[in-house]
Amino acid sequence: MRLYSASSEETLRARQLLTDWAGEGFLTKEQHQRLDQETVSDLRTTNIFLRLVLFLFTLISVCAAAPLFFKLFLSRPSEQTSGVFLVIFAALCYAAAEAAVSQARLYRYGIEEALAVCSVGFLCAGMQAALFSGSPFSPKPDTAQYMVPAAGAVFSLWIWRRFGFSYAFLAAMIFVIFLPGYWTSSHSAQHVIVAVFYAAGLVGVAAARSRHRFDYLDEAYSLVEALLWLGIYLAMNLKLSSLDLPIQWWSGTRAASDFARPFYWGTWVLIWCLPPIVLWRGIRQKDRFVIAVGAFVAVLTFVSNKPYLGWVRHTWDPMILGILLTSVAVFLRRWLARGPGGIRHGFIAARLSGKDKHWINAGSAVFGLLTPQSITPAPQTGGKDFRFGGGASGGGGASGDF
Amino acid sequence: MTILARLERWKEQGAISAEQHAHLAGLSRGEPFSIFLELNVLLYAGVVAFVAGLGWTVSTWSRQLGDIVVLTVLSSMLAGSSWYCFSRTPAWSPAETPAPSPIFDYVLYLGSLVWCVELAYLENRFHVLSGQWDLYLLVSAGLFFFLAYRFDNRFVLSLALSSLAGWFGLTISHWPSHQDAEYRQYALLYCLLVGVGGALLQRCNLKPHFFGTYLNIVANVLFWAVLSGVFDRQAYGLWILALLIACGASLAWGLSRRQFVFIAYAAVYGYVGISWMLIRGVTDETFILSYFVITAITMLVALVQVARRFGRPE
Repeated sequence: MRLYSASSEETLRARQLLTDWAGEGFLTKEQHQRLDQETVSDLRTTNIFLRLVLFLFTLISVCAAAPLFFKLFLSRPSEQTSGVFLVIFAALCYAAAEAAVSQARLYRYGIEEALAVCSVGFLCAGMQAALFSGSPFSPKPDTAQYMVPAAGAVFSLWIWRRFGFSYAFLAAMIFVIFLPGYWTSSHSAQHVIVAVFYAAGLVGVAAARSRHRFDYLDEAYSLVEALLWLGIYLAMNLKLSSLDLPIQWWSGTRAASDFARPFYWGTWVLIWCLPPIVLWRGIRQKDRFVIAVGAFVAVLTFVSNKPYLGWVRHTWDPMILGILLTSVAVFLRRWLARGPGGIRHGFIAARLSGKDKHWINAGSAVFGLLTPQSITPAPQTGGKDFRFGGGASGGGGASGDF
Repeated sequence: MTILARLERWKEQGAISAEQHAHLAGLSRGEPFSIFLELNVLLYAGVVAFVAGLGWTVSTWSRQLGDIVVLTVLSSMLAGSSWYCFSRTPAWSPAETPAPSPIFDYVLYLGSLVWCVELAYLENRFHVLSGQWDLYLLVSAGLFFFLAYRFDNRFVLSLALSSLAGWFGLTISHWPSHQDAEYRQYALLYCLLVGVGGALLQRCNLKPHFFGTYLNIVANVLFWAVLSGVFDRQAYGLWILALLIACGASLAWGLSRRQFVFIAYAAVYGYVGISWMLIRGVTDETFILSYFVITAITMLVALVQVARRFGRPE
C-alpha cells in the first residue's frame, strides 16, 4: 500500500541518524564518511526551506490552472458540470502526485505533497458541487451531504497511508469533525461521535504500531497517536471546543445549557483523567510526541478548569501556572540528575541529539522576538488623564486599564 | 534493514567499535531517552506564563497594592535574577559558551522581561520621561545587547533586536506627519545598522554564532520594507530595482553559504513583488490566471534545478 519501499525509508532514516550522531561526536568523521556511503537512497529529498517553497509554487500553479481551464473551455458551466470537472482535476492531481513519486522518486519534496493536498481539496469541492449544488448554506442541509467530509476523511487517510504525510492524517481528523453535524442536532452526541471516531483510530494505530517499535514507521505512528489523543481531549473539553469560547471565558459563565448536566460533568471528569493517562502511555512507550501531548493537555486542563466550574479567573492565575511549570521542570531535572549516570528509569535530562540544540536555537530566536509583544504591557502615549490600575475586585480586572 | 540491524552489521565489519555499537543501539531504542527539549519548553512556557500573569496583575491591582509594594516586588525579582546570572556566569569569552546551569538562560530571560514590566509601570505611573517611550526602548535595547553578549543568550538578543526596531517605529510615530515612506526609510536604516553591526561583530569574532539571527531579521525587515514600497502606487520604480537587488543578494548568499532559507526569501518575496507590479491594474482574469500558471511553473522548474544542484537535506 505504501508508495515508498521500506528499505528506502530505512536507508534515509539511517542516513539522518548518522549525521546526527556524527554531529554529537558519537562517530568520527572518517566513520561517518564511510557509513554514509552505505546509506545512499534512491529517493530524492531536499531541505525544509526548498520543500516549503516548492509546495507553495505547486499549489499556486494548480490552483490557478483549474479556474483557467473553466475560463478557457467552459462558458458558464452548471454546478454539476463544474463538480464533475473538479473531480477529474482531483484524479489528475492524484495521478501526478503518484507519478512524481514513482517516476521522479520525490520524497517530502513539496511538489508531490501539494499535488496530493490539491487532490483532496478538488475532490471535496467537486463532490459538493456535483451532488449537492445550491444547498451548502441551507439551514437544514441534506443529511447525505455527510458524504463530502466522509470522502475527504477517507481520501486523506488513503494519502496518509500511501505517501506517509502526517498532516494528511490531521486533515482526516478535521474532516471527521464535520460529520456528526449531518447526523444529529444534539451537541453532546456530536462531541461523543467525534471522540468515538478518534478513539477507534487510536485503537487501530496502537495495534498497528506495536509491529514497528524500532523501525522507520515508529515516529510516524507516534505523531498520529499523539494527534488522536489530542483530538479526543479537545472533543471532550467543552470549554475548548465550543464556538462561544471567548465569551464564556471572559464572562466566567458556564454554558451548560447546551449540554445535559451529567454529560457536562462527565466531560469535566474526563479532562482530568485524560492527561495522566496520556502521560503514562507516553512515558511507558518513551514516546516524545505522546509525552508532549500529555503535558500540553495537562496545561489545558489547568487553564480550562475555572471556566468549567464557573469560577472567576484571577490575574495571578498565569503566575501560578508559570511557577508550577518551572517547578516541575527543575524538579524533574534534579531528580534525574541524582540517578546513576544521570539516568532514572531510562530517562535522562541531558541532551543526546544535535537536533534538540538546533530546535532550541531556532526557537529562542523566534520566540524571543514574539514574546515581548505578546506578554508585556503595550506602551501608551495617551492623554494626561491616563491612570494606572483600578481593576475592580471580582471582575478579573477587566475594568482596569494600564 | 532497520537501524539496529545496520549497527550490528557495522560492528561485525569493524566499522564501529563494540562500545559505539552499544551506545548507538541504545540511542536508537531510546535508552536512555532524553527529555532535554521537553524540559526547556517547560521552562520557557513557565517564564512566559509567569511574566504574563505578573504584567496582568500589576496593571490590574496597582492601585490596591500601592507603588511601593509593586516596585519592591519587581525590583526584588530583577535584583534576584541579576544576582543569579552575574554570580554564576563563567569568565566571558567571545566564542559560543554553554550556559553554566540548565535554568540560567531562563532566569536571564525572566529578568529581562521583568525589566520591561517595571519600566512600563514606572513610565505609566510617574511619567518620568513624559511619555518618551522611544527612549525606554533604546535604553532597553542597549541593556539587552549587553546582556546577550555577556551571557551568550539568543532569547535576549532577539529582545534587543525587537526593542531596537520598536525604538525606530516609535520615534517616527512622534513625528507630526508620519508617512509610510518614512517608516520604510527607517526600516532600511534599521536593516543597515543591524546588518553592518552584526557583520562587524562577526568579523571581530564576537559571538559569531549570533550572525544568523541578525541576518534573518535583517532579511525579513528589508524585504517587507521594499515590498511596501513596491505596493505604493507612486514612485515604485526604485523599489522594484531595490527588490531585484535584494533578491539577487539573498539568492547569492543562500547559494554560496548553502543557507536555503535565503533562497526561499528571494523566491517568495521576489515573486510577490514582481507579480504585484505586473498584474496591478489588470482586470482580464484569463491573463491573471495564465500569469500565475506560467510563472509558478517557471519558478518550480528553477527551484527544482537549485534543489537538485545544491539542496541537500538539513
